[in-house]
Amino acid sequence: MSEKFDVVVVGGGPAGLSTAYFLAEKGFEPVVIERGPEPGSKNVFGGRIYSYVLDKYFPGWRKEAPIERWVRKERMSITCESDSVTLDYVKHKPLKEDEYDSFTAFLSKFTGWLSEKAEEKGAMVLPGSRVEDIVLNDQGYASGVVADGEKIEADYIVIAEGVNTLLSEKLGIRSKPRLETTALGVKEVIRLGKEEINKRFGLEDWEGVAHFFIGGPLKGIAGGGFLYTMGEYVTIGAVVRLSEVNRKEITMKDIAEQLRLHPAIYRYVKDGVLMEYSAHLTREGGLLDVLEKPYGPGYLVVGDAAGFILNTGFTIRGVDLAIESGRLAAEAISKAHEEGKRDAETLSVYKRLVEESVIYRNLREYRNLPKFLENEVLYRDLPDIACEVLGTAYTTDEEVRRIYPVLMNSLKSHGLGWITLFKLFLEARRSI
Amino acid sequence: MSSNMEEKPLSVEKRLTLTKFEIFEKPHIIVDTEKCSKCETKPCIKACPAGLYSLDENGKLVFVYEGCLECGTCRLICPYDAVSWSYPPGGHGVWYKFG
Repeated sequence: MSEKFDVVVVGGGPAGLSTAYFLAEKGFEPVVIERGPEPGSKNVFGGRIYSYVLDKYFPGWRKEAPIERWVRKERMSITCESDSVTLDYVKHKPLKEDEYDSFTAFLSKFTGWLSEKAEEKGAMVLPGSRVEDIVLNDQGYASGVVADGEKIEADYIVIAEGVNTLLSEKLGIRSKPRLETTALGVKEVIRLGKEEINKRFGLEDWEGVAHFFIGGPLKGIAGGGFLYTMGEYVTIGAVVRLSEVNRKEITMKDIAEQLRLHPAIYRYVKDGVLMEYSAHLTREGGLLDVLEKPYGPGYLVVGDAAGFILNTGFTIRGVDLAIESGRLAAEAISKAHEEGKRDAETLSVYKRLVEESVIYRNLREYRNLPKFLENEVLYRDLPDIACEVLGTAYTTDEEVRRIYPVLMNSLKSHGLGWITLFKLFLEARRSI
Repeated sequence: MSSNMEEKPLSVEKRLTLTKFEIFEKPHIIVDTEKCSKCETKPCIKACPAGLYSLDENGKLVFVYEGCLECGTCRLICPYDAVSWSYPPGGHGVWYKFG
C-alpha cells in the first residue's frame, strides 16, 4: 500500500526540518523521513550556530532553544611544539542576551528542538526510516521515495540528505565529493562541569569561547583544530582535508587524542570525562562544491546536500545556511504549487531565490578562499615563523635580540622570499 | 557511559564504547578485499576515524562494520572502488546524543 503526501523531505537534519517547518507554516502537510532513531541522532558539527537566522524566523527561540553558551570570546591560535601565538577577540562590555550573534550548541539536541518546532507547525517527522531511492515516474518526475522497502508518494521531494550525497548521485545530479574539497572532522565531547569551565576560560555562566587552531599536531597539514565551550562540556576536534590524509603521515583515529594532549589544549580539558566520540565529513570547496542545479522535475536539494556551507577563514557556517535554504525551498514549492506545476522550469525559482540570498552572496564573495586555504605556507611555515619571532620578542636575558633580523632569518630558512610573500598577499587580498 | 581521561591517549576502541550504537545484524558496508590486495597505499587504514580497517597477520585487509561512525570517508578515499557503501537500515547504526 502506498501513501501520498504533498511533500516528502528526505533527511531530518537542520535543512530538512527547516524546510518542513516553513512548508507547514504555509499550510502544507510535509513528512520528514529520517534514517536515525530520532531527529539529530546522525548529526555532527563543530559547535556553533549564528543567531540572525533564528531571530528572523523563530520568535521566542532564545528562551526555548537548547543554547549552551553565547560566544563572547573568539580565539585563533597558531600552535607550535612548545609555545603558541593566539589572537583573542573579546567585547569588553558584556552584551545583553539578545545581542550575541552566535551561540554554542550540540547539533543532535538542536536538531531535536527544530524537529519539535516543525511538528508544532503541523509537519510530520518519521524517524527510524531510511530512504534508499527516489522514484521517478514515466515523465522523469520525482514522484516518491522508497523508505526501508516501502513506497511513499509525494508531489514534491526535498533532498536533504547531507554531505554524503548517495541519492543525488543515484539521480545523476552530482558526482562523488572530491578528496581535495572534502574534509573529515573528528570530535570529542568532554565533561568538565560548569564551574570548572568558567574558571579555566574566565567566563560567566552563559558566556562561551570559540577557539580555532592551526599547527600543533596538524603541523604541515591543511586543516585545523577547534574547541568550543558548552554549558557543562568542552568539545574539541580536528578537520582535515581528505587529500591531505591521502598524501601525508596522519592517522585520523588518533588525531583527536593528539589534539587533546597537545599542551595548548590539554590545560583546558585536563581531568575531563569523555562523553562521546564522533566523526563527520564537511565540504570545503565553497562555491565550487555547490550543486549547479539544486532543482529538477519534482524535487529540490537543500542544505549540505546542495553544498551550502561556508568557511570564511574566521568563521564556519552551515546551520544558518541550511535553515535559509529550507525557507527558500518552501517558498519555491509554495509558488509552484499555486501554479499547479512541478516541472524543473517552475522549480528553478528556488535557484534564483538562493542566488539572491545570504547563501550565494557569501559563497560568491568567498569563492577564492578555498584555494587560498590550500596554501601549505599557512600550515607548514607560518606556525614556525610566528613562534620563532614572538618567542624572541618575549625572551629577555643578557643576550641582545632584535626581532627584525630574527623575522628575516626565519623567512629565509623557510624559503619565503619577498616575491613569494607578495604573491601570498595578493592571493589573500582576493580571498579573505 | 563515560570515561575519565588521563594524560595519555585513549584508544579509539575505548572511545567508541562511549558512543551509542544500535548495531544491525548485517554490515552496511561491504569491502571487496580482492581489490585491496593490489592496492599499495590502502589509505582507508589511516583515514577511517574509527580505525575499522586494518591488516591481518598475512597482510590482508580486514574490515569490521561495528563501530562505524557513518562519516563516508572510506567510500571517497578508496582508490579501487572496493567499498560498497550504504547507511545502516532505518533506526540503526550510530546514535549521537550530542553531535
